[in-house]
Amino acid sequence: MTTVDSSEREARADLYVPMSAQVVDVQQMTDLEVLLRAAFDGGRPLDHCPGQFVQVSVLGVGECPISVCSSPTRPDYFELCVRRVGEVTAHIHRLEKGSVIGIRGPLGRGFDVAELHGKDILIVAGGLGIAPARSLIQYVLDERQQFGAFHLLYGVRSPAELLYRDDLTLWRESPDVNFHVTVDRPDEQWRGRSGVVTTLFRELPQLDPTETMVAIIGPPLMFKFAVLEVLARRIPQNSIYCSLERRMKCGVGICGHCQVNNVYACLDGPVFKYGQLKALREALE
Amino acid sequence: MADRIIRHSDLMKLVDEVARKRRIIGPVARSVPECEPPVRYFYEDVERADQLDLSFRYCVYSPKRFLTPPSETLFAFDQDDGGFVAAPQYDRRPTALVGVHPCDIHAIRLYDRVFDLEHRDEHYFARRGATMIIGMDCPGPCTDGVFCKDMGANVAEAGFDAMLYPLGTDTDGDEMRYAVMFGTKAGREWLLYSRQSAAPNADDERAFEKYQADKEAAFSFALRTRREDLAELLGRSYDSLLWDATARRCYSCGSCNLSCPTCYCFDITDETDLASGSGRRWREWDGCHLPEFALVAGDHNFRPKAASRLRHRIYRKAVWIQERSGVVGCVGCARCDRACTAKINSVEIYNQLAEEA
Ligand SMILES: Cc1cc2nc3c(=O)[nH]c(=O)nc-3n(C[C@H](O)[C@H](O)[C@H](O)COP(=O)(O)OP(=O)(O)OC[C@H]3O[C@@H](n4cnc5c(N)ncnc54)[C@H](O)[C@@H]3O)c2cc1C
Ligand code: SF4
Ligand code: SF4
Ligand code: FES
Repeated sequence: MTTVDSSEREARADLYVPMSAQVVDVQQMTDLEVLLRAAFDGGRPLDHCPGQFVQVSVLGVGECPISVCSSPTRPDYFELCVRRVGEVTAHIHRLEKGSVIGIRGPLGRGFDVAELHGKDILIVAGGLGIAPARSLIQYVLDERQQFGAFHLLYGVRSPAELLYRDDLTLWRESPDVNFHVTVDRPDEQWRGRSGVVTTLFRELPQLDPTETMVAIIGPPLMFKFAVLEVLARRIPQNSIYCSLERRMKCGVGICGHCQVNNVYACLDGPVFKYGQLKALREALE
Repeated sequence: MADRIIRHSDLMKLVDEVARKRRIIGPVARSVPECEPPVRYFYEDVERADQLDLSFRYCVYSPKRFLTPPSETLFAFDQDDGGFVAAPQYDRRPTALVGVHPCDIHAIRLYDRVFDLEHRDEHYFARRGATMIIGMDCPGPCTDGVFCKDMGANVAEAGFDAMLYPLGTDTDGDEMRYAVMFGTKAGREWLLYSRQSAAPNADDERAFEKYQADKEAAFSFALRTRREDLAELLGRSYDSLLWDATARRCYSCGSCNLSCPTCYCFDITDETDLASGSGRRWREWDGCHLPEFALVAGDHNFRPKAASRLRHRIYRKAVWIQERSGVVGCVGCARCDRACTAKINSVEIYNQLAEEA
């Protein structure tokens, strides 16, 4: 039995102190995005819900919120897809296999998987939105018998921006998911569909409005158009999930940075129902 | 009914008694020649009771910095190739805040809630748990422009260890006498520990009743809207032109946030020694009026306009904090109004909105 001294116990109980995790694999997916696979010492699972996020620390540089992009059904590790946009993310890009990172979380509220069970699922992902979406995609695929029909639509601006290429091949060939992908601006090699993600709605069969749950995850503009498509199919507002991005610091509902009117994206979200967001004036502005 | 009666000189002895075990924070007079009168009061560390001036009307800033300082280390860390070790830092210095007015007591009660709503912030509670609060009631408004009565914060019934009520000077001398109410067992023990205070006699009770009645008469309402109706008022004011019109003057300096006893937003930053890899993560006060408060990477700002930031602050103070925590988010001390370089005034904002409606 290992003994834990009091200062270590204090550190574990403290809201702001990260747990140490090891990077077990690194995969450069595009110029801008890297996929990290990480695990806690001793193999303790992260125990998250699809759609939740963690605060990733590079000590001495800072912390930033990143969605967990793997499913809790794969508990030996968790994965993070990080786009390089600033200081902390640039440092994350320098990590190697064996590097140690700090993790706080899982944080926030993800998808209510119990509510999704037994339903047909439609996931619409745009750009980096595929990262949080992937935790749910993997979950549905791993627990396939728990769900009805499964449709997945994914759009990016150009072929070079496609993430998770191995997964894309898998999903394309899988009988378990009706998967379609499109790019806004194709290049010479691109053999697939082109056009914005909403053009993929044509590929969908008739959706049962009472039996379908939808997750739309992507940039605000894409969300606005996609939600119109979904509403046009008579799917109720509260059957539509989306995920909000805001500046975050504490990740636990105290520091105020992520507030959207009277809710905190880090605590009440980042996953919200559309019906709830519609009442928040700042949410979709 | 008062619990005890104490004279000023005896109170000072009791405070000196506390000073042997705790650091004492209380109102200190500072000369500020450019102000009229040229004296302002600030909560400061003192060694002895006689450095305090309990005749103060109000302190420029609330004592919040002694509970959640402008900047504080959350944890220190050491790193090597194999990983890191983090040691959280807690400040548990025994402290006594002396001379805290009802509004600031309400603000501390708000902190007690919001730092323990969904998650408990031990950094706050380490200080809070080590802090004794000796309140000082206000016989009347401390200065022009306050609306503490409107916010239900000119009277404090809890949130202190002991509360002093200045009854006035003695009939036989010129020494101030205070009625005292206990708020906690610690407050009771402190007062009963020595023989400095006395049980109130019938005259004292009459004096205390008169004090309460005079106080009731001294405060009036400043808002046209009752506190309970502010949510409804703001509910229909989101699209008012007032936000733009008022915020046109705003410098986005954040002085309103800085001076507010109920503001508690913060930013988090790392600091490290490159050679050793050791360092610390610390937090510092932040303010929702500052332009970069809701700014994210890629230069997207979720509250890009001063008008949206002003509206956010007012909604937070008047409605949202209360909705989440059950405690009123503004105590009506008007420090924001006095601090504002642009003379933006919250009472005017509420009253103009009420007029529009
Ligand atoms: C719930 C949530 C999930 C996210 N998931 C992912 C993900 O899976 N992959 C990914 O690449 N990005 C994700 N982001 C965005 C990511 O957090 C930002 O790109 C990152 O914080 C930028 O940090 P930086 O230090 O590199 O940039 P800088 O511009 O240097 O930012 C400095 C600090 O400001 C804050 N900040 C800046 N931008 C953001 C932002 N967009 N959101 C929140 N805080 C910000 C952070 O604390 C950051 O450390 C997510 C954001 C949120 C809110
Ligand atoms: S908002 Fe203004 S009046 Fe209200 S508590 Fe803060 S400083 Fe005082
Ligand atoms: S103090 Fe006045 S000028 Fe400064 S940010 Fe607040 S409202 Fe604007
Ligand atoms: S990130 Fe601090 S309140 Fe949400």
